Amino acid sequence: MSKPEGTERGGQSNSDNSEEKYWVAAKTLSDNARTTMKPRPPKPSNAVTIAVSSRTLFNMVKERKVFEEEGLEKYVAHQLELEDQPFTPGVSFPFVKALMNVNARLRELYPDSEELFDIVLMTNNHAQVGVRLINSINYYDLTIERFCMTGGESPIGYLKAYMTNLYLSKDSMKVQEAIEEGIAAATMFTCDSENELSDTQLRVAFDGDAVLFSDESEIIVKEHGLDTFFRHEKEFENKPLAQGPLKSKNQRINRPIRTYLVTARSAASAGARVLKTLRSWGLEVDEALFLAGAPKGPLLQKIRPHIFFDDQMFHIEGAQELGTIAAHVPYGIGQKYHKGKRIDTNTNNEIKMSKK
Amino acid sequence: MEDEKNRTGPLMIALQYNDLFDLDSISASTNTEDALPKGRAVAFVKAVQTVNERLVEQNKSESLLFEVILIAKECSEEIKMKIVESVKYYGLEIGKFFFFKKEELINTLQSNKVKLFLSTDRDDVCEALHTGIPAALLYEQSDDHVLSQLKVIFSGDVIGFSEDSLDSLSDFGFSETQIETLKAAKICMKEFAVLIGQMKRRFGQENSPLCICVLTAWGSTNVCVSALKTLREWGLDVDEAFCLAGAPCSPILAVIKPHIIWDGGLHNMRDLSAHS
Repeated sequence: MSKPEGTERGGQSNSDNSEEKYWVAAKTLSDNARTTMKPRPPKPSNAVTIAVSSRTLFNMVKERKVFEEEGLEKYVAHQLELEDQPFTPGVSFPFVKALMNVNARLRELYPDSEELFDIVLMTNNHAQVGVRLINSINYYDLTIERFCMTGGESPIGYLKAYMTNLYLSKDSMKVQEAIEEGIAAATMFTCDSENELSDTQLRVAFDGDAVLFSDESEIIVKEHGLDTFFRHEKEFENKPLAQGPLKSKNQRINRPIRTYLVTARSAASAGARVLKTLRSWGLEVDEALFLAGAPKGPLLQKIRPHIFFDDQMFHIEGAQELGTIAAHVPYGIGQKYHKGKRIDTNTNNEIKMSKK
Repeated sequence: MEDEKNRTGPLMIALQYNDLFDLDSISASTNTEDALPKGRAVAFVKAVQTVNERLVEQNKSESLLFEVILIAKECSEEIKMKIVESVKYYGLEIGKFFFFKKEELINTLQSNKVKLFLSTDRDDVCEALHTGIPAALLYEQSDDHVLSQLKVIFSGDVIGFSEDSLDSLSDFGFSETQIETLKAAKICMKEFAVLIGQMKRRFGQENSPLCICVLTAWGSTNVCVSALKTLREWGLDVDEAFCLAGAPCSPILAVIKPHIIWDGGLHNMRDLSAHS
């Protein structure tokens, strides 16, 4: 009796082969069952996989309250009652819609390519709530074909299993965990006033230090001051900065997308190293904006990105005040400082979680 | 009528002895005095025992409990003794032992009103399903990770597809045998789901010793919703749901770590030609 394929501990090549055949069976059956004209989703190994939590995709503030105040059973019962009522869009909704538009254009330009965005719903919600979530996804005609509803278990293992390139959640602890496991992740916050965003082009803005790049230079500023920072940058102008947590995610993005680097650095004194690093990585950023310390909010308001990543809550708050959807990347030395002052790491968590 | 009959009896699960013990690792140098080395099914039996303990905690006279029986194909008296001793050694609660000839597998299962035949051998599972015996795959659990929950996965593809859709599969390379097996599997899954649903209702939603998952490997999210709603109709609340849309199953299964996978024999249906 031969050992079943796919469950051998060391038999990788065996299970890969059976997966290939299973994929063929999958295509056959799913083509048969497809009642809509929606195209087939790409294989995870080829796609840029973006995992979003249910609370960032949809506005679940009221329901969350029921969960916190009345417990799991009441929460699930409440969701079941409202099962046919779609949720209202959440904070990552515009980003997801924009990704769908990009996919449509990529398919037009490169019909045989599987290098597309794949959006996965990754939630530790109970499967019973899943019916309402899927009803909502269908209501807005979102292309989300894959999901994990872990019924309370941590999603981190599943993020890896789906080869996730970016994870967005409202829960900063999960985001922290993901980053520690080497998965690019950011915490999103509710944004009250939102600017009108482009329907045809996906715009993503990034902070530089501790987001795209490592926090090595930021450490110098925080601990030794600006002068030391400028001298350091000049000295190491030709040495590329080390990678930050979101770097690999960015590498695979190109075409109907516009990317912006929005950094507090100034072009004159510290900009050269940034540009040379990007060049050495072969990374194309459409616009690099050096603010020399000026606030990011007004500039972001002009750019209108679908999402803006920064490691410092100060900048996140500034962006949100002027209607930009911002996501916090909890990485590096920035987490130990708030508005220039060194803080306790315990209170740091409270500051991060002050906005829901 | 059927409900009453089910409620009074135990839920009998049959295991094969070569899943309970790892016979392949026995060599000439193995001490014959020692118990047989543990196999893949030991973690499963322990999980089942946990469920039984919790059920009895709730209700001392509970009759809807799991009962595990061991079936073994032709072997010597020596090995029979070894098996019984080893079972005792590991503290496994095995209700009955059956030893029979290979061809009698199906008869043995049928005559003992087994509610579930669990095996790591896909061919055995498929064969059993085809003759109407409820059968599911025993997933390989690494022994060092003993869960305090019994995890069961139901295939969203099998449950979520309607009777008509299953019939139309013949247009897409599935043979008559395969389609019949899938239909028979669905009936078996329903019976099992009803029983497990009754058991699950003895506990609350949190801290339950039974965890039910739906995994939809190929079907769309709507197929998954259909599966969730169908299971709900059958009286079973699902805890975790996964929709893969063709993504590889093994990495996801490795995270879920289930004990039982009800996939209606789908894993055996790999020789389909691609229709483009």
